Amino acid sequence: MAAERVLVPLSDTVTVRQTVGYAVQSGLESGEELHCHLVVALPHEADLPESRQLTEEAAELLSKAKNWVREDAGSASVTVETSLLGTDEYLFGPRDFAGAFDDYAKEHDIDTVILDPEYQPGATAQMLQSIERELDAVGLAYDEAPVERPARHERLVGDGTEHFDRLFATFWISYAFYLVLGDPTYWFDLVTGAAVAGIVSVSLAHITFTFPLDRVQSPIRTVRFAFYIPYLIYEIVKANLAISIVILRPSMPIDPTMARVNARVRSGLPLLALANSITLTPGTLTVRADDQRLIVHTLIPSAREDLFDGALERAVRFVFHGREAAAIATPRERGDTEVLGGDDR
Amino acid sequence: MIDAIPMGETLYELAIVVLIVFGLFFTFVSAMGVLRLPDIYSRAHTASQTDTLGAGLALAAVALALGWQQATVYTVLLLFFVFITNPTAAHAIARSAAESGIEPWTKDSESEEGESK
Repeated sequence: MAAERVLVPLSDTVTVRQTVGYAVQSGLESGEELHCHLVVALPHEADLPESRQLTEEAAELLSKAKNWVREDAGSASVTVETSLLGTDEYLFGPRDFAGAFDDYAKEHDIDTVILDPEYQPGATAQMLQSIERELDAVGLAYDEAPVERPARHERLVGDGTEHFDRLFATFWISYAFYLVLGDPTYWFDLVTGAAVAGIVSVSLAHITFTFPLDRVQSPIRTVRFAFYIPYLIYEIVKANLAISIVILRPSMPIDPTMARVNARVRSGLPLLALANSITLTPGTLTVRADDQRLIVHTLIPSAREDLFDGALERAVRFVFHGREAAAIATPRERGDTEVLGGDDR
Repeated sequence: MIDAIPMGETLYELAIVVLIVFGLFFTFVSAMGVLRLPDIYSRAHTASQTDTLGAGLALAAVALALGWQQATVYTVLLLFFVFITNPTAAHAIARSAAESGIEPWTKDSESEEGESK
């Protein structure tokens, strides 16, 4: 093979340097010439102000990686190309990332993808399903870089303010919970509560919050969540009545179907909130949540219509991203809905 | 919270009774649903969801009956946790059913052989 073309998706991990090194080394072994494509895939909503910083960081990472390649390549002939993916589209979850890589690979005639084992697209996107599986699904060959990495918790300790924020939040949440159960005016409870909250926050902070907290956004989200609860209860009562009528009718006119909805919420907590809300609302039951693809079992047609109208999805977007983010098209209008099952099974 | 004193005892008690009655009603419907519905997926709907509201309303009635005291806080917390854990359990059941390859009941399968009646 005359020229080897590799694609290296980059993200800000401890092993990104080694991955680039491996890509150059292995690429030069198998071919005389190497075209190294370095890409950073941006998570969704790159146009929001808070994401502008992410874009800058991505550009910085790309230029750093470019220098690494030059360093490692030495005198060998290596062509480096850098690119930002996902600036003009919404990338949600590993499937979209794999799709974006695949498009890029087709366009530039890429042979293999060198994958960083710690790869996390974007700063906050959480992986539910591994990108390896999704790359398999789109049929893109990949190679995982053999890297030495420190244990995960060391990295978390290393990041000062982020770690402190988590500790701080976990401490006060657990302290407040302890005092609610105990007596906030009794000195003994105050002291033991502080001790317990201290232990809890030190041992569990990095499990409780798997995403970086935002000092301004997180409290605002909590307040918006408080607005969300009455709305959710209203939805629950409404749907409960509809289901009760159906069950109590002697003919029981149910029409159970599996439906698929591609939700436009981020993985992790927002997705959990949405999936849980869907299940809480009678008539719809989340069966699977493979990243943004929610497989929902619906009992009656009206519940399915409500699901496809995406009212809950908008509400969850409102809680996590604010009012502007809530104004998106319904899943039906986006073409993100599908009724599964029936004759094609 | 409903204020007990100016509204009168009867109205306060009426609110408690209404909550309990509705709670019982939804629990009853939930039991009916478990018995009448055809397959595990649709049963998981009522077993968890209607129950959530049934238990929720009953707990709300308990909170009202207890009045403003420490135990009420526990009741509200209990309510909160029921609302988180119930859908999680329902999802776990449905998910494991899907992973075991159980096909959901549809209108068509009734006419064919009446699958898992």
